[in-house]
Amino acid sequence: MRLLEFQAKKLFSEYGIPIPRGVLIRSKDDIGNLRFPVILKAQVPVGGRGKAGAIRTAKQAEEAAAIVEELLNSNIKGWPVQALLAEEQVEIEQELYLALLIDKLANLPLIMVSATGGVDIEEVAKKSPEKIVKKHLQSTVGLQDYIVRYLGKSMGLGDYLDGFRSIVNRVYAIFYDYDAILIEINPLTVSSNGLVALDAKILLDDKAAYRHDDLFARLQEEQKRSVKSGKTVAEQLAEERDITYVPLDGNVGMISDGAGTGMLALDLIQDAGGQAANFCELGGLAGPESMQQVLEVVHANPRVKAILIGLIGGLTRMDEMADGILHYLEQHGKSVPLIVRMCGTQEDVGKAKLRTVGIETFEDLEIVVRTAVKLAKES
Amino acid sequence: MAILIDTNTRVLVQGITGRVGSFQTKIMQDYGTKIVAGVTPGKGGMEVDGIPVYDFVEEALREYEVDAAISFVPARFAKDAALEAIDSGIRFLVVTAEGIPDQDVLTILNYAASKGAKVLGPDTPGLISPGKCKLGVHPHRMFTEGPVGVLSKSGALSYEVCRVLTKNGIGQSTVVGIGGGPLWGLSQQAVLKMFEEDPETKIIILLGEVGGTTEQEAAAFMKSYMDKPVISLIAGRTAPRGAQMGHAGAIIEGEEGTAESKIRALSEASSLIAKSPSEIPTIIEKSRG
Repeated sequence: MRLLEFQAKKLFSEYGIPIPRGVLIRSKDDIGNLRFPVILKAQVPVGGRGKAGAIRTAKQAEEAAAIVEELLNSNIKGWPVQALLAEEQVEIEQELYLALLIDKLANLPLIMVSATGGVDIEEVAKKSPEKIVKKHLQSTVGLQDYIVRYLGKSMGLGDYLDGFRSIVNRVYAIFYDYDAILIEINPLTVSSNGLVALDAKILLDDKAAYRHDDLFARLQEEQKRSVKSGKTVAEQLAEERDITYVPLDGNVGMISDGAGTGMLALDLIQDAGGQAANFCELGGLAGPESMQQVLEVVHANPRVKAILIGLIGGLTRMDEMADGILHYLEQHGKSVPLIVRMCGTQEDVGKAKLRTVGIETFEDLEIVVRTAVKLAKES
Repeated sequence: MAILIDTNTRVLVQGITGRVGSFQTKIMQDYGTKIVAGVTPGKGGMEVDGIPVYDFVEEALREYEVDAAISFVPARFAKDAALEAIDSGIRFLVVTAEGIPDQDVLTILNYAASKGAKVLGPDTPGLISPGKCKLGVHPHRMFTEGPVGVLSKSGALSYEVCRVLTKNGIGQSTVVGIGGGPLWGLSQQAVLKMFEEDPETKIIILLGEVGGTTEQEAAAFMKSYMDKPVISLIAGRTAPRGAQMGHAGAIIEGEEGTAESKIRALSEASSLIAKSPSEIPTIIEKSRG
C-alpha cells in the first residue's frame, strides 16, 4: 500500500521525525491558523507532483483560497484531487535525500542518501550516480552508528549529524514496526531549525497486512475519503472479490491460471493483431467459485467481445474449472463467446463437461489467441 | 545427473497433512520421488500414504537421512517452518507459499545463507527432473527427460513451454521454478551457473517476465561466464507500466523493468530470443546446427 503524503507524515510525527506544521484540508475554509506563506499540496498517490502543478505556494489567505478551489477541481495524472495538505513554508538551505528500502538483488535492506536531493534526484541517479551514497544493512547487524556517521560525513552534515542520526533511527524503526518496503524522504531539508522532512513516501507490504490490521483498516478508510479512483464496474467487482485484474484498452477478455502465461497471452494477442481488454489471473488454488467470479468480472466490461480462457493446470483442477464455467453460463449465457484452452490435471473430465454445452476446447495457446482475436473483430 | 535433485534425493515434506501438502505428496510419490518423512506440528505419530509424520524436523532427522525438503506451509507460518528446517540442518529447501511478507523472506534467506543452505522460492512450483524426481506441483505429463535446462519465474509459463518441447520430442534435464518474486532465494544467475556446470544440460531456456532487474543481472553473468546457448522468452512485452501483473515481482517501475530493456540486455549477452513457445523448438534446431 502506498500511503498518501499526509498519512506518511502522521506516522513520521508519531515517531518524532520533524515535519512542517500543517493541516489536511477538504474545502477552502479549512486552512485554519497557519502562518503564511503556505504550501498547498494535492494528496494523490503519484510522484512528480511538483512538476505536475500539484504543489503551490500561497502568500496570503485570498490567494490560498483560490489555489485550494482550483486544485480541488483539478485532476493530477488521472487522479481527481479530493484533499490537500497545507503546510507552513520552511526556509530551505539545502535539500538532502534519504531512503530505506529492500535491495532485491542483495536480499538486504539498503540505505541511500544524497546531499543533492529534491525534484531532480532521478536525474542525479542517472547522470552522477556517485552523488548517491549507499549502505547495506547486514541482517544480524542492522543499523549501527558507524553507518549513520559514514552517511552523515558523505553529505558534509557537520553540526546537523545529531538531527540526522535521530531521523535515520526513527525511519529504521518505522520500517520494521510496520513492515515497510520503502521509506523515502525527498527532500529532507536543512533549515535554520534543523532537519525537516518536507515530503514523505511510505510503501507498506500488503502481504504483511494481517500483522497490522488496525493500521491498514484506518489507512484504507482515509484513502477512500481522500482519493476518488474513477474505477469501472469491473474493477470494483474485482476489488470486492480480491481478484487480480488489470484493465487494458482492447476488446479481448483474458483469464489465465498463472501470471506468466497470462502475460504471455497478452503479448500473443497483440502479435496476432488484437488488443486485450484486461489481464486477469486466477490464484494457484482456485476452485469453481473463483472461475465463475472471475468470468463475471471480465464480462462486466462492456467492451469485451470475446473471452479467452487459458488454463494449463498445476494446482488448478480442470474438472473444477469446467464447473465454474458452466455456472457462469447458466447465469449469463453465451452473449460473449468463450474460447477455452484446457490442459492439466483432470483435463479429460473438464473437456467432457464443457462439451455438454457445446464448447470445444483447444490445447494450444496460440490457436485460442488467434481464434479469440478473430471473433472479437467479427462481432 | 540433473541439477539440485536426482533419483537418489531423499525428501522431507513440511506441511504434509494439509490439503495441498497431502495431495501433492501422493502425486510426487507416485512419480517416483523418494519421500522419507513429513512434518506437521501437533500431528506427530500420524502417517500420510505410509509416510511417517513428525512434530519437528529435528525428530524426523533422527530417524532418516534427508537431502532436500519442500514446504507446503501457508504464508503466515512459512518463516517459522523454513527457519526450523534450516536450523535442523536441511541444506536444500523449496518454499512454495505465495504471499510471505518481504521481511520474513529476508530473514529466511539471510539465515539460509549464514548456514550454507539453498532456498528455492518462495512462491514457486518447485522443480522437476523428468523421469527422475519431482519436488513440486508440476503437471508432470507435460514433461519428458532430455538435454534442455529450463528456469522460470512463472510456474505456468514453464508448463506452457515444456508442453511444446515435449510434444516436439525435446526433453528437459531439470525445470526450475525460481518463484514470482520480488525476492528470490536461488536467483536466475545461480541456476544458470548450475546448468552451465551440469554435463547433462546442453541448452538452457530462461523464462523471465517484466519487473525488477534480475534478467539484466543474468545477462551480465551469461556474458562473462557462460558457453552453453541460452534461449530467453520474456513475458509482459505488452504489460502496462505500474500495474501488478499477478506476481508480486511483476510490476514495471522505471526503464529497467520493461520487457524491451530485458530483451536488449539478453540479446547483447548473445541469448537467442523467442516471442512465443512455438518458436522455441525451431530455435533449438537451428542452434544445434
